[in-house]
Amino acid sequence: MTIQAQPLTQHHDLEDPVHEDDRPRTLVQTMTAPLSAFGQDMYGLWTLLRQTVQAILQGRVDRESTFAQLYSIGNGSVLFITVTMIVLGMILVVQAGMQTQRVLPELSLLGANIIQLLAREFAPTVCAMMLATRVGAGIAAEIGSMVVTDQVDALRMSGAQPVDYLVVPRLIAGVLMTLALSFWSLFIALMAGTFAANTQFDLNISTFVNFSFVNMGDYIVMTLKAIAYGAAIPIVSSQRGLTTFGGSEGVGWATTNAVVHSSIAIILLDLILSVFGYIAFPPV
Amino acid sequence: MTEEARSDTPFGLIVPERMGSAVLGIAAELGGMGVLAAQLVRRMLPPKIDRYELTRNLYKMGNKSVGIVASTALFVGGIVVIQAAPLVVRFSATAIIGWAAGFAMLREVAPLLIALMFSGRVGANNTAELGTMVVTDQLDALRALAIDPLSYLILPRVIAMITMLFALNIVGDLTAIIGAIISANALLDVDFSLFMDSFLEMIDAWDFMQSVIKSIGFGLMISITSCYFGLTVKGGAPGVGRAVNSAVVAAAIGVFVMDYFSTYILK
Repeated sequence: MTIQAQPLTQHHDLEDPVHEDDRPRTLVQTMTAPLSAFGQDMYGLWTLLRQTVQAILQGRVDRESTFAQLYSIGNGSVLFITVTMIVLGMILVVQAGMQTQRVLPELSLLGANIIQLLAREFAPTVCAMMLATRVGAGIAAEIGSMVVTDQVDALRMSGAQPVDYLVVPRLIAGVLMTLALSFWSLFIALMAGTFAANTQFDLNISTFVNFSFVNMGDYIVMTLKAIAYGAAIPIVSSQRGLTTFGGSEGVGWATTNAVVHSSIAIILLDLILSVFGYIAFPPV
Repeated sequence: MTEEARSDTPFGLIVPERMGSAVLGIAAELGGMGVLAAQLVRRMLPPKIDRYELTRNLYKMGNKSVGIVASTALFVGGIVVIQAAPLVVRFSATAIIGWAAGFAMLREVAPLLIALMFSGRVGANNTAELGTMVVTDQLDALRALAIDPLSYLILPRVIAMITMLFALNIVGDLTAIIGAIISANALLDVDFSLFMDSFLEMIDAWDFMQSVIKSIGFGLMISITSCYFGLTVKGGAPGVGRAVNSAVVAAAIGVFVMDYFSTYILK
């Protein structure tokens, strides 16, 4: 039995554009189509990551645009991240405190647990989710509109590698700035949480700010997460930007896909690294 | 504020001036969203909605997002259990993992993350679509044909977004619980019946209702911001890109702030 499948989204590889045709497929082909599309996607991302890391290792780094990206990804996001993290820290303390009061008579260990939770999970992940919406959309829109106006082909024609000029600075800036902003998020959420604990539950600052549960493993997991997210956002968004087709409407789709797919990548990496952290540094 | 005027400002006044103009900008945006919301409410009494546009948007925004929302929620359920594990192991209370994970998911994590994914996928796309229509004068064309753009274009989208985030949130809650059960089984050796025992005993309908109420609020927030920034696009195709960016950022901040206040209101 043959059924007509929906035409797949076209994926253009960096070197040679591959166009899917709309021939009728068998049922098996239709069912495996999403899987093979996912595989192609992963291959495209892996190729881009490999090319970018190769360029960095060979020292083909444009210093000026790297600094420009560091500024626009990092400094441009500080205010946004700060506002979100203040709210997040306060929500976390209020919710956790209210629930703990149901089972435990006193809240002296609330701060220690929340600081560990912030370091392991919320500071890097929520910070990266926010960066994915702000930075990922920007990267895909910028590169995408360069692609549809043939500026990337112009770079290639003048002998410049688009990956060197466009992706390398963004990858470096993404990794460094996600790392820095994760630690900034931890600090801000901790301050806001301390304030909420003090006003809501009358907890002393010295009781709440208690780092006794946070060990080396938590900082290692947090750093690994921040580096992984920081690499995933620019690679996914740049790949979506570089494979843009179909004019300004295509740029819109590339932007949407960049945000959604970077967010999914972050959540998937979060799951993998959390399992790794749980096995490598088991709770004591 | 033009460039020449800014260069005339004395050095000591640059920072206050920028802060002031930022505050005025935010106030103008909030006011614009309020006016848009009021105009939409006016068009609901009596309801004048284009039924074809409504069903088209419901399908495009809801059915097409089920896969993304379900997979996100499945992973999130797993992550919540892994992160709650140190707490319950420390107090040697693996039996209450169902309550701890279920509570964290239903009240906070699931509605928040599903709303952020929805804002990235549907909200951003909606802003881009409306923005492209504005810069190509299609809204003026509608007005010239005596069709009200608000009740023809905007109202169906707002209703579709609120309804579908509400529905997707229920789907997401269920898949998140499935993800939590799987990872509790794999990592903590808590079997299904033990998980469900503490879950059903400690989680009541109010926890689930909180998730639903929050999702309606988030849907309202996302739909109004994305339509407002789409309708106020200026400056051609680059303007559409900027509008999409600010719509997503505004929706994220709006969702977090609304979450904070709803935590207090819905105790």
